[in-house]
Amino acid sequence: MRMPPLVMTHATKRFGAFTAVSDLSLEVPEGEIIGFLGPNGAGKSTSLRMALGVMQPDSGSVSLFGKPPEIATLKRVGFLPEERGLYKKMTPRSSIEHFARLKGLSAQVARARANDLLDTAGLGEFKATRISKLSKGMAQKVQILSTLAHQPDFLILDEPFSGLDPVNQQVLEDLIRAEHARGATILFSTHVMEHAERLCDRIVMMARGRKVFDGTLDEAFGSLGRGARISVAEGFDLTTALEPKGFEAHRAPEKGPGEAWRIALPRGTDAQDALRAAIDAGAPIVSFAPEEARLRDVFVSLVGEADAAALTESETGEAA
Amino acid sequence: MRNVYLIFRRDYLGYVRAWGFWLSLAAVPLFMIIGGTFAIFAAKSSPVRYYAVVEPASVYADAIEGEFALDDADASQQARDLAANMDLSPEQHAALQSGNAAPPRKFIRVPAPARSIDDLRPYLMGERLVSGPLGDKPLFAVFIPSTDGKDLEYWSDDVNVGALRATAANAMRRLARQQALSEAGLGADFLDRVDANALQVSAHRIRTVADQTTAGSEVTMADRAPVFVAGGLAYFLWLMIFSIIQYLLMGTIEERSNKIFDTLLTSVKLTELLAGKLLAVFAVTSTMMVSWGLFAFGASLFATSQIPGGASLLSPFLAAFANPSIIIPGLISFLLGYVMYGMIFMALGSLCDTIQEAQTLLSPMMILLMLPMFAIFIAFQDPGSPIIDIASWIPVFTPFLLILRMPHDPPLWEIVAQMLIMALTALAILWLATKVYRAGAVHGAGIGDLGGVFKRMFSRKAG
Repeated sequence: MRMPPLVMTHATKRFGAFTAVSDLSLEVPEGEIIGFLGPNGAGKSTSLRMALGVMQPDSGSVSLFGKPPEIATLKRVGFLPEERGLYKKMTPRSSIEHFARLKGLSAQVARARANDLLDTAGLGEFKATRISKLSKGMAQKVQILSTLAHQPDFLILDEPFSGLDPVNQQVLEDLIRAEHARGATILFSTHVMEHAERLCDRIVMMARGRKVFDGTLDEAFGSLGRGARISVAEGFDLTTALEPKGFEAHRAPEKGPGEAWRIALPRGTDAQDALRAAIDAGAPIVSFAPEEARLRDVFVSLVGEADAAALTESETGEAA
Repeated sequence: MRNVYLIFRRDYLGYVRAWGFWLSLAAVPLFMIIGGTFAIFAAKSSPVRYYAVVEPASVYADAIEGEFALDDADASQQARDLAANMDLSPEQHAALQSGNAAPPRKFIRVPAPARSIDDLRPYLMGERLVSGPLGDKPLFAVFIPSTDGKDLEYWSDDVNVGALRATAANAMRRLARQQALSEAGLGADFLDRVDANALQVSAHRIRTVADQTTAGSEVTMADRAPVFVAGGLAYFLWLMIFSIIQYLLMGTIEERSNKIFDTLLTSVKLTELLAGKLLAVFAVTSTMMVSWGLFAFGASLFATSQIPGGASLLSPFLAAFANPSIIIPGLISFLLGYVMYGMIFMALGSLCDTIQEAQTLLSPMMILLMLPMFAIFIAFQDPGSPIIDIASWIPVFTPFLLILRMPHDPPLWEIVAQMLIMALTALAILWLATKVYRAGAVHGAGIGDLGGVFKRMFSRKAG
C-alpha cells in the first residue's frame, strides 16, 4: 500500500507563550491538489515547515511518504518557501541546476532540465543573466522552476501566488495544473481564496493556529448553506432588523454602494423571503442578489467576523 | 558526501568567480614583484656621488676613506659567512676569499675644487661640475673643519642622504680614539688587537652522542630552519583565520538575507551545509595562500638559482618542512584550529541580517584573534617561556603554540594531551555552533536578541 505524501497527527508548535499551531491533524492523499487556507499568522507556514522537518513539532508527529521527514524522503518533495530566496550572483540556469542536483539529479540531467524549464517559462534569453539583474517576478519564476526541476512527487508551495502579477498568477495556476497532470500531489498555502476555488480538490482552513475546516470544495460550500446578499444604506443594522423574522445576517466584506450583508437562509425559505422580510423591516435597500457561494463566506461562517477581518487584511496587504 | 561536495562547489565557485578573489590573488605576487623590483632598482640605480674634504693635510679624508674600507671588509666577511653554508666549488670559495665581495662604493672622494664654502657653492648646487673617476658630476657634499677646530662641517644640497655623514662621524670617532691611544703611547691598532684576542663565544647544539658523531655540534641553518618553518606555519594559520572572517560572515549573511535556508535545509542536512561551507572557505583561502606560497617558492628558487650554490640555502627549510614530527602535528593543529575558529565565525554570521550588524562583531573577533598573534610572537622569541607552556593548554592558543613548540621536542604526552583537548574543544564548538546556526538560520534569532538565541538553541525541539 502506498503511503500518503503527508500525514500530520496532532502537531503542535509553540514559540514561548505563543501557540503557532495547535493540534493539527492533516492527511494529504496522493494525487490531490490541496489548498491550505487562512489569513497571515494563521499558522500555515509553521505547519508547512513542520511538514518538511525544518522545524520539529513540540508534540504530535509528521510523516512524509510514511517516514519522518528526512533528507532522503525530501528528495521526493519540491518546496517553495514563503520567503523567496536565491543566490543573487548565480544565473537562473546554474541556480535551477544547483537545487536540482541537491535533490539528486545528475549534472547533465539537471542542466538539461534547467534549460528546458527556462525555455518553456519564457526565460530562455535570461539563462545566463545574474539573478540580481532580473525583475522580482522573473526571479520568483526562477525559484518556482528550481522547485519543479527534479520532478517531485509532492509539491509544497507556501504562498506561491504572493508577489506575482495577475498574468503570472495565471501562468502559475497553469503550471500547478500541469504538475498535477504529471502526477504530482500538491499542497499550497494561500490567503487568497479564489486561487483555491479554481485549483483545489480539497481545502484545509486554518485560523489562529487551529484547523477549522478540512474537506472538499463541495463540502465547504455545503457547510455554508444557502444565502442572499443585501446591501443597505450605511448605519442600518440588518441583524437586529431580521432577527425577529427568523433570518441571520452577517456583515460581508464586499465594497460598493451601502453596506453588504449576507443573509443565511433557513430550511424552507428562499432569497425572496429574505428580501421581503428586509423590506417589511424598513431596511433602506441599495442592492439585492441571491448568493453565489464563495470560499471567503465559508471561512467567515467558520471563524466569525473577527478572524475573517484578518483574512481581508491579508488580501489587502497582498494587493498593495 | 555528495551534498557536502555540491554545497562546497557552489560556494567555492561563487567566491572564485568574484573579481575580488582574483584581485586578492594577484595583489600579493604583484606587490612582491613591484617591491622586489623597486628594491633592486633602488640599489642599482642609486647614483655614485662625489665628495670632497677641505683640509691642508689629508687626515680627515684618509680617516673617512679608511672607514669606507672597513665597511667594505665587513660586507665581504658577511658574504663569505653566508657562502660558507652554500655548496660552492673550491674555485668559487677561493675567489670569494681573495676578492672583494662588498657592493660597489656609492661615494667617491675627489679633490676639492675650492677652499671656501662660498667658492664651493656653485659646485654643491650643481651649477658647476667637478672631474672624477666617473667623469664630470656635481659635488654632492663637502667636509670643512670649523674655524675653532671643534667641528667637521658637512655641507650638501641634499641633507636627507645621511650615509656619508654617518660614515664620516664614525671615522672621526675612530680617529679620536687612535689619537688618544697614540698619546698614551699605545699603537693605533691597540683596540683591534685587544678585540681580536678576546674569547670567542661559539654556539653549539647539544645532540645525542651518536648524532653528534655524524652531524657535529656546530649550529647551522638546519638547526634554525625548523623554528622558521614552524613559525611560518603558525603565522600562515593565523593569517588564514584572519582572512576567512569576512568570507564566513558575509557568506552566511547573504544566505540569511536571501531567505535561502529553508530551501537548503529541505535538500541537505544542516551538518552537510556547514561542512560544505567551511570546506569552501578553506579551499578559497588555501587557493590564495598556496598560490602565494608557490609564487614565493618559485621566486626563491629563481633567486637562489642566480647565485652559485644558492640552492643549498633552501634545502634546510625544505628538509624541515618535510619532517613528519613537525608537519604532521602542525597540520592536525592547523585543521582543528581552522574548524574551531571557522565554526565560531560562521555561527555568529548566521545571527546577522546586515553587514552593519556583522561589523559590530568584527571588533571582538579581531581582539580574539590578536591574542594568539601576541602568543605567536612571544613563542617565536622564547618558546620555553612558562607563559607559553601555560597558554599552549588553552584551546584558543593551542593550534598556534603547538605548531611553534614542535621544533623544540616537547614531551610526547603533552603533544597528545593538547591535541586531545583541541579535538574535544573543536567538537564542543562544532556542537554549540550548529545550535547557534540553527537558531539563527532556521528560527531567525538575531545578534540583538541573545536571550532568544539561547532559548532557541536549547529548546527541547530545536532540532
